[in-house]
Amino acid sequence: MTTATLVPPPPPLSPMLARLADERATGALLRDHGTLYLDDGQVVHAESPAAPGLEVLLDGRLPQEGWQEAFDLAGPDGRVGRYLVDSGRLADGELELAHLGVLFDAAYFVLGPGGGPTRFRHGVAHWMGPVRPVPTRVLARECLRRRELLDALWPYPETDDSPVVRADTDFPYPVTRRQQDVLDLADGVRTPADIARLLGRAAFHTLVDVRRLAAVGAVATPQETPVPAPVALPQWMPQVTEDPDVALLRRLRNALEAL
Amino acid sequence: MANTEAALKEAMTSIEGTVGVALVDYTSGMALGTAGGSKELDLTVAAAGNTDVVRAKVRTMELLGLNEDIEDILITLDSQYHLIRLLKGRGNNGLFLYLALDKGRANLAMARHQLKKIENELEV
Repeated sequence: MTTATLVPPPPPLSPMLARLADERATGALLRDHGTLYLDDGQVVHAESPAAPGLEVLLDGRLPQEGWQEAFDLAGPDGRVGRYLVDSGRLADGELELAHLGVLFDAAYFVLGPGGGPTRFRHGVAHWMGPVRPVPTRVLARECLRRRELLDALWPYPETDDSPVVRADTDFPYPVTRRQQDVLDLADGVRTPADIARLLGRAAFHTLVDVRRLAAVGAVATPQETPVPAPVALPQWMPQVTEDPDVALLRRLRNALEAL
Repeated sequence: MANTEAALKEAMTSIEGTVGVALVDYTSGMALGTAGGSKELDLTVAAAGNTDVVRAKVRTMELLGLNEDIEDILITLDSQYHLIRLLKGRGNNGLFLYLALDKGRANLAMARHQLKKIENELEV
């Protein structure tokens, strides 16, 4: 028996990223929401202001002195990751899993829509050094899958970067322990990214929790764009004509012609 | 302590009857590593889909007020076993190991025992 397999369309990898991968480029790809670091055409690191870094996710596991020591000794050679393992500060698999988590988390924001123009600086390397390089195609496919996952949960992207507001009701929503942690920090000011940082969790994971919470009604879904309050017309306008815009335009035209 | 790739390869070779294995992040559904698999068993699809299984069970236990951790989940098919083992790491980000076994060749008790060993190797 043969099974028919549906071939999915190729992921929308940005042409620039595809070209850099083909050229096996090394350097930094800069966009509005962060930076991707490439080494030999593969992604080795990513950082974004929206996503907590490795130092946040490994808080409690690796003290500040550990980072400082690794940074001082191995930073100049761009081998901090390797040093953390070789010096026994972190186990191989532990660093790899934490680093992959950070890389995919930050890349989701860097490669997100509306990230502005893309620039590439050849030859720039991150001080972390390669841990487990990720092919650009794998990264692009995963970013797309994540976007689809969020939209499948609750199709309101505004939820992602607006302050998280708890719904004003006593109804006991069925939330998990992890979601409750998010809810406990929702003070109507903090965004999902702020909450992720406080919890020491990946930002994307918090987006998932917030969309699920919005879907069950435990947090409010923000309006897409706040409707601007109607501007009060000057007192004289309605007296001139029923259609103030036309009158205003006529007056402007007349004034301009008189110049 | 092994890296992910080595640990998953070890699972493939040391656990009798293994068809495929994946290490999965259960919030995002992303496979952080896979080994084995086939045209009939797409491990990245299995990874994403099984996050819902784990999530449903975690939620049910919380609703029931069972204050316990899940060690593993077994799903028995006509010709396969699917074994999900939740990792209890220090950094507990919610990872699980997903193992697909050929029912005819696998020894379930042995597989569970060996999966536990691999979990210990992946963590510290």
